[in-house]
Amino acid sequence: MLVWAFLLPSLAVFFLYRVLPLLWNVALSFQQFSLFGGTRWSGFDHYVEMWQDDVFWTSLWNTLIFLASAPIGILLALAVSLMVNADIRGRNIYRTIVFLSYPLMTVAVGIIWRWMYDEKVGLFNFLLRKLGLIDTPLAFLQSFELVLPSVLLANIWQIIGFYMIVLLAGLQNIPQNLYEAASIDGASRWQQFVRITLPMLRPALFLAFVIGIMTSITSFDLVYVMTQGGPSHSSELLVTYIYKAAFELSKLDYAAALTVVQFLLLVTLTWIGNRLSGGNAGAVERN
Amino acid sequence: MRRPQRYHRAPMHRYPRWPLHVMLVAISFAMLLPFYWVLKTSLTGENIFVYPPSILPHHPQPFYYVDVWYFIPFARFLLNSVVVSVLAIVANVVFNAMAAYSLTKNFAGRGWTITLLLSCMMIPFQTTIVPAYLITGKLGLLNSYLGLALPTFSTIVCIFVYKASFDAVPNSLVDAARIDGLSEFRILLQIMLPLSTSAIATNVILAFIWSWNNFLWPLIVVRDQAMQTLPLGLSRFLSDHENTTGALYAFCIMVLAPGIALFLMAQKEFIRGLTSGATKG
Repeated sequence: MLVWAFLLPSLAVFFLYRVLPLLWNVALSFQQFSLFGGTRWSGFDHYVEMWQDDVFWTSLWNTLIFLASAPIGILLALAVSLMVNADIRGRNIYRTIVFLSYPLMTVAVGIIWRWMYDEKVGLFNFLLRKLGLIDTPLAFLQSFELVLPSVLLANIWQIIGFYMIVLLAGLQNIPQNLYEAASIDGASRWQQFVRITLPMLRPALFLAFVIGIMTSITSFDLVYVMTQGGPSHSSELLVTYIYKAAFELSKLDYAAALTVVQFLLLVTLTWIGNRLSGGNAGAVERN
Repeated sequence: MRRPQRYHRAPMHRYPRWPLHVMLVAISFAMLLPFYWVLKTSLTGENIFVYPPSILPHHPQPFYYVDVWYFIPFARFLLNSVVVSVLAIVANVVFNAMAAYSLTKNFAGRGWTITLLLSCMMIPFQTTIVPAYLITGKLGLLNSYLGLALPTFSTIVCIFVYKASFDAVPNSLVDAARIDGLSEFRILLQIMLPLSTSAIATNVILAFIWSWNNFLWPLIVVRDQAMQTLPLGLSRFLSDHENTTGALYAFCIMVLAPGIALFLMAQKEFIRGLTSGATKG
């Protein structure tokens, strides 16, 4: 009994803010909801509405593009983590610098990047013009084509340190004698990387991938601050559209239906990631 | 499984190290550039209006840092953020420890509980906002400190951080305490927790960072300006003034500073929290 009393506060929080919302959300997506009573079932109305909603398709497509930040970021982080795992002086300083952007308040990060992208006085336009790469300044965040990659870059800048930490932990778990044995057998550096490092790193890589998918699919703050989903929804993600539908348009039920789609997308992708990793990603010791 | 070994120093350098340093310095430069740029502008107000921007700061002065306090009720936002963070930290340190301690026991339903926790980990908070808003409304907690902090009162990752630490405490010690007649609560309080200071530190840091940076939930729950936390104030400042003043960037520095300071002080505990569960080790 005492055991359950100890578990109660935590379980209550998770029930109230994880389990119950998940269930309620599904129910809500099949309802015509009103804050003032009179909620009734409406079948698949919201899903039909969604099917015909161009903004939904745009935001779904943008979310899928935005997910690219996970593989790109992980690939970059893999290179960085191999470098800072090497036996070099000052590697702890390098690690700290790369990681420093991760714990930052994303709202502030968005404001800083928003202004580095500025058309008139932004740092990027200044550097690109100095280097002679462009003649006329680019309006990164006002352009239909450039806005999503621009936000993506800021997202990668912030999260790359996290990937690095996960991969570094994976690298440090590879037994050193595997490399010793391999070099006695005459394996080249590249062969060691492909035959030892990558396979041994697989759980860490896919853990990073699964968490990366989760964080980029829910990346609200950055988009909201940098672009508000604009210009005209060209950087709208599902998560920002859900917020707008629910709290700006007061269509809580429709937002719930959008959330169901978002959640199914998330579950599918993490399931794939988990299968690819051999079913170990995110595993906490269960003994 | 073979015990993992840490990467030890290689016996000798077979390759020159300078190309590695060159690359790492370049990466560090790219990572630090936004910090430098915002710090410079917060001190000078340069390159907001004028093109081309100057690379080095001219006449730095703290004017904009003072200005922030006049633009918005900064003290009030700070207070709100601190209250919400303190609530979250205290709740996490206590509730997570209790939950983790019970998970070190054998009891019917333990396996199910762990499965439930691991499944909840896969439900990001952002996918619960609509019902979470309705639930908080039904509890009458909209626009209140408790309502702001409640969803972050317990964190699954942090429960497992505690659990790993408690598992490392020798059983003989716990048994001895039990024979001496200590209640379970006092075993947790007087034996487990004092031996788990770094797990406590991890809990404090993660709870603080997550609560301090939280934006979406306050955006939904807060109605009055008087209840706004710093991230909300910052976003509001942006929409009111756009980037017409260096005060915006001074504001950014002021909200980023506590997180950076805490992170630099307790990097190890922070990283442990993030990688626990990531790798078994």
